[in-house]
Amino acid sequence: MNWNAVNGIIFRHLYNFKHSWDRLADSFYWPAMDIFLWGFTSVYIAKQAGSIPQIIVVLLSGLILWQVVWRAQYEISVNLLEEMWNQNIVNLFASPLRVREWVVGAFILGLIKMFFSISFATILAYIFYKANIFSLGFYLIPFIISLMITGWSIGLIVSGLIVNFGMRIQTIAWGGIFLLAPFSAVYYPISTLPSWAQKVAAFIPTSYIFEGMRTIIFTGKMSEDLLIKSFLLNGLFLCFGIVTFILMFKKSKEKGLARLE
Amino acid sequence: MLEKVLEVNNLSKSFGKTKAVKNISFHINEGEIVGLLGPNGAGKTTTIQMLLGTLTPTSGDAWYFGKSFKDHREEILQKVNFCSSYIRLPWRLTVYENLDVIARLYGVKNRKRRIKKLLDAFDISEFEKRPFASLSAGQIMRVVLAKSFINYPKVILLDEPTASLDPDIAKKVRDFLIREQKEFQVSMLYTSHNMAEVERLCDRVIFLNKGKILAEDTPLGLANKIDISRVDLLINRDITKAQGICVENKWKANISDNFLKVELKEKDISKLLSTLAKSGIDYSEISIDKPTLEDFFLQVSSKGKLPQKEK
Repeated sequence: MNWNAVNGIIFRHLYNFKHSWDRLADSFYWPAMDIFLWGFTSVYIAKQAGSIPQIIVVLLSGLILWQVVWRAQYEISVNLLEEMWNQNIVNLFASPLRVREWVVGAFILGLIKMFFSISFATILAYIFYKANIFSLGFYLIPFIISLMITGWSIGLIVSGLIVNFGMRIQTIAWGGIFLLAPFSAVYYPISTLPSWAQKVAAFIPTSYIFEGMRTIIFTGKMSEDLLIKSFLLNGLFLCFGIVTFILMFKKSKEKGLARLE
Repeated sequence: MLEKVLEVNNLSKSFGKTKAVKNISFHINEGEIVGLLGPNGAGKTTTIQMLLGTLTPTSGDAWYFGKSFKDHREEILQKVNFCSSYIRLPWRLTVYENLDVIARLYGVKNRKRRIKKLLDAFDISEFEKRPFASLSAGQIMRVVLAKSFINYPKVILLDEPTASLDPDIAKKVRDFLIREQKEFQVSMLYTSHNMAEVERLCDRVIFLNKGKILAEDTPLGLANKIDISRVDLLINRDITKAQGICVENKWKANISDNFLKVELKEKDISKLLSTLAKSGIDYSEISIDKPTLEDFFLQVSSKGKLPQKEK
């Protein structure tokens, strides 16, 4: 691993972050708006249907944890798009940078930015709605790791498709991950889903995490099985993501990276 | 014996049924500037992309410093760089930030000093804090040139590097390139549509057409493959009669003001002059232009084949 190259990728996007209102809005404005929208909605639901205990914590914890998946995927895919929009792909890959170094750079950037935007959202949720995501205790760490791996895996698949098919399919960088959202049961129990969707959810690693999150909030306990299933599925997702990205990148080079600019 | 820093063997690239580059082979020696010329669509940019590893060849390979590019990509690219009039850098980043990122990618030591030296060399120090997006076309090109020298390259691929530059800046760039060649033995593959520039800079020229190498020689050697010279005569009287004589001898002749401009084979020049003298046509000025690289380019590009020189 050439860490100089990884360092270059990290600095390239940190410099961009400093100058880009779009990326600042992605990190702070949209998470804040989500927190307020769902915060008020959950306050309203809590008043109307008092029978659902801790609804505010459930919805806002779900929202914050979903941000982990979304951000992890988004950082990889949108960073790649940034290079295409800036006609910078050839500059990067005509340098000693390897694909895996670009990916590691994107992973690290995702971690840095996720730390700030999740911390920001967590503080807002606590200040305005007294929803404390740290009530998940120690499990918060494996939850975040698992969700991040899912986000990275989808990010790699989405980026692979973009690098091969070009900017005409760039919308999947924003929308791709939302295919998983209904099956992940972010805001509702899996039992709410129709039976066919429950079968699909069984293959989605995030569904076990959100189910586990609700179990902890409602009962204070957590089934280790849920975590194990989530990590096993994530192993498969990540392998599939890596293989897809590498194959698509190779295919794209056969057509020429310059055409992406 | 000169060391080959780049050797290209039977390189080909097809896009579906279209063959963009057909089995080309050439080499560049250490410290040599080689021009890669050809009309649009000849395969120059495709070749450069393959040599940078951003396009996979259909067949054939390239060797840098005696090592296979396929097997030693990262090690080789550490000592290679490129500049193209078609590329850009991230537009929100300042000039300095862009160069800093590229220097980090190549692991350049003493980044600040190197960047400062290049900013000075290309006369762009005053723009270092300006976003790339705010630069003019000429300024952009100079930043891209600075980028391409950031890693002290031993081989540099330059795709029309002086396009969009003012003549004085273009001259500064050419001087910089020659200095790098002389001082550090940097080898360059150079494409340009400015033939005078290629004649001045390049030790050797490879002429591509429709993906094939049609000719390879020094700029003068290629120009000499053209058999047509131009003779301009300031005719004092009977200019129409003089033109008629040219037409009779199947020489292309045009009249512009009092000048008769004749295109003919070099060996026919003496015949032209003696025929005019015999016919009593008086001229007071004469200039003879030998064929240039541009003449070679125009003729070969339009005909798609090398001129057949008469013996």
